[in-house]
Amino acid sequence: MNTTTAPTVTPRRRRRLELNASLVVGVVLTIGFLVIAIVSFFWLPSNPNIPNIKNRMLPPGTVDHWLGTDGLGRDIIAQLMVGARTSILVGAGGATISLILGTIAGLVAAAYGKIADETISRGADIMLSIPGMVTALVLAATMGSGALTTIFALTAFFTPSFTRVIRSAAMSVLQEDFITSAKLYGRGKLFILARHVIPNIAGVMIVQFTLYFAAGILTEAGLSYLGVGVTRPSISWGMMLNEAQQTVGISSPLAMWPGLAIVIVVLGLNLLGDGLRDVLDPKLKRRS
Amino acid sequence: MSTVTPFPADVRPLLEVRQLSQVYNLRRQKLLGPRPTLKVLDSIDFSVRPGEAVGLVGESGSGKTTLTRMLTGVERPGQGQVLYDGVDVWTGGEAHKKLFRRSVQVVLQNPRSSLDPRMRVGTSLLEPLRSLRIEGDHAARVLEVLDQVGLDKNALERFPHEFSGGQLQRIAIARALMPGPKVLIADEPVSALDVSIQAQVLNLLKDLVRDLGLGLVFIAHDLSVVAYTTSKVYVMSSGKIVEVGKPLDLFRNPQAEATQALVGAVLSVEAGLAGNALA
Amino acid sequence: MTSAKPHAIEVKDLVVSNGDVTAVRGVSFTIPQGGRMGLVGESGSGKSMTALALMGLLPMGWNTHGNILHDGVDLVTQSDKALSSRRGRTLSMVFQDPLSSLNPVRRVGDQISSVIRRHTGADKRVAEAQTIELIKQMNLPRPEQLVRAYPHEISGGQRQRIMIAMALACYPQLIIADEPTTALDVTVQKQVLRLLNGAVRDRGSALLMITHDLPIIAAMCDTVAVMYAGRIVEIGPVQEVFRNPRHHYTRGLLDSQPTMDNIALDGSSRLVSIPGMVPPLHSLPTGCAFNPRCPAASDKCRETMPELGTDGINAACWHPIQPAGEVAAQ
Repeated sequence: MNTTTAPTVTPRRRRRLELNASLVVGVVLTIGFLVIAIVSFFWLPSNPNIPNIKNRMLPPGTVDHWLGTDGLGRDIIAQLMVGARTSILVGAGGATISLILGTIAGLVAAAYGKIADETISRGADIMLSIPGMVTALVLAATMGSGALTTIFALTAFFTPSFTRVIRSAAMSVLQEDFITSAKLYGRGKLFILARHVIPNIAGVMIVQFTLYFAAGILTEAGLSYLGVGVTRPSISWGMMLNEAQQTVGISSPLAMWPGLAIVIVVLGLNLLGDGLRDVLDPKLKRRS
Repeated sequence: MSTVTPFPADVRPLLEVRQLSQVYNLRRQKLLGPRPTLKVLDSIDFSVRPGEAVGLVGESGSGKTTLTRMLTGVERPGQGQVLYDGVDVWTGGEAHKKLFRRSVQVVLQNPRSSLDPRMRVGTSLLEPLRSLRIEGDHAARVLEVLDQVGLDKNALERFPHEFSGGQLQRIAIARALMPGPKVLIADEPVSALDVSIQAQVLNLLKDLVRDLGLGLVFIAHDLSVVAYTTSKVYVMSSGKIVEVGKPLDLFRNPQAEATQALVGAVLSVEAGLAGNALA
Repeated sequence: MTSAKPHAIEVKDLVVSNGDVTAVRGVSFTIPQGGRMGLVGESGSGKSMTALALMGLLPMGWNTHGNILHDGVDLVTQSDKALSSRRGRTLSMVFQDPLSSLNPVRRVGDQISSVIRRHTGADKRVAEAQTIELIKQMNLPRPEQLVRAYPHEISGGQRQRIMIAMALACYPQLIIADEPTTALDVTVQKQVLRLLNGAVRDRGSALLMITHDLPIIAAMCDTVAVMYAGRIVEIGPVQEVFRNPRHHYTRGLLDSQPTMDNIALDGSSRLVSIPGMVPPLHSLPTGCAFNPRCPAASDKCRETMPELGTDGINAACWHPIQPAGEVAAQ
């Protein structure tokens, strides 16, 4: 008899109210970020790639350059806006491809027997034991740096983690009685995975996606900072950090803007992920 | 061991197992030693006829779970036969296996877990028909079955979390009835339910046996619940059927040690009030 | 002590709520020293929340109002630290699932002896000797080996005996047992109940038995409180309440029990069942919470909530069942 009904129902209500705040802040920050990236395709304050020596190192607050300009006179706002595009392209691209590959591998590991599971799980362990930055540097050296290489590197880091998360979430769904029932009335594995397992782990998938989106943005900034990420004419916040390094001491805020942008966007995505987790998690929902 | 034939002998069993044995290999104790084996089922004979409610009781580890897996066609027996309508389920061909899948339906213990939380109740109910590719007026069938289990048709658009445990068990029973089964296998169908709801579900199962002429296999650990629902009870212990009989005979005059233990374990309000329940 | 005659626990107008949801809506009862009370109800009745409130173990966000007088203090006003030093010493609890209430990475013997050492200050050797003695009292085989076992290495019944041993280690004034045998095999159930029964009696502790299982209450308790939708709807001596229930809900629960008496030989017997279902906490009906399921419900039941003890009857009902042999008053 379920004597724990009362204690489990109401903490959920409470958590929902509480974490709606993080969901709201997360949604606002993330939408703002997306809107800025979209606007950058139609309008920019000035060309972020053309140097303008007479305008170099303008302080924040200057008319037409509200956040100032860098050492070559390029507008900071314009660079941040184009940098948002790169972050989305690389972060979301890496997270999406890893999600797809990780879901396939995780479901196969969970549903297709011990040998498949051992092979995939041990494979993921091996991939996770290779340091990510080294992989990225090797990739950049062999494939040349650029957005595509960065996405490729992110996919290599994230897919094993996704695989693990999806595998364990799928395994817990596969143990439920409704899976047994479906087998008893003759449903095959593919149908069970597509119609029963995926809908029940969709919440986990969405939450993981937002978190890895954020991690992807951070990693991309790191790689670009090291000079193995994107190159001009593309612009990355990490690249801006790198360039600002040359002017530290002359104009400190220059390093602050891309840093701030990274913090706000990553925070926004993480808040979104946490907020979604509590709204979507089937374990919290099932007991209502 | 007593034999009971509450039905004329010429009524053929719908679902039957004959001389069923199953041996599991265990992990090796020594690196090169032989793998130890565990006999989970030992020469089981069991049958259920149309309109007959049969109970299967035993402690955990008695083998009733394995037998249930055999009866539902989940596991293939090592030795012996599982027969549906007189034909072996595993060697009788695809068409017969399909008939068996359709005709033997299962109700599981925990109704919260046995319905997909992301699927509307209506979709869940149609699943067996779609999966087994059963033709006909599906909408009419859903309404007919809902009526049989005493649920309203506005249940169809809702999700499982909107229902109480008792209602969910009715939905699970409805889903099992959808393909028009001849045998219903109920595995601990009320042990996860509240007392006042248990009675509703037990009465419903009894009505289905009477009204639809279903064969019912009722698996439980609680002898009093089984006795109330069935007319013949098989008692299992360490992989064997140790006693078969009418529930009241088993209660009044248990022969096998396992039956005596189960009868002794039944607590009643009357015995408690008389002060000798724990004696 | 608050009164000349000390009680093991005295609960007055207990309310347990979380925001706009109230799980326990004004519950009062008293268990005398060495008394045994059963708290019976279905899921959602508030019986488990009552137990957790008594132990100070409510989940986050839940608040307690009212008084819980125990050992001369009001537990409602006590700090977490003070409550924690009481748990296991003056009041203790046996939970439903022994596997999840024992620490999986500690030997069971260490878990028992650390409770003894914490509350009595006994040194290690004394505590270990007491642990072995306790395990012997629990009728467990080979106590010297068992103390070194981890929880997963022993059976469910053995684990529950270990939990009982832990709960009883410091001779508490009150033991709360929440469905202590529900997770066990039927044949083990009775042995564990018998053991709990004897151990509680030997220590002179009071017992609060929380269960949905009426036969267990009949076997173990001398008084019973029937809970429905967060309130006690009937309370009194077990013999009286179970033989002559006054509340229609109690009657319904008793009638839904499959017993040897209501099983007919031809299989045609039907159990009496309570129609409908337990209402969810956030949408209780007005008046008596049981009225939608009650055979005797009238307009009055739908409007006004009945209280316990009206007309000297310990059932919260406007139309209590008249005991057999008495003439209806109205």
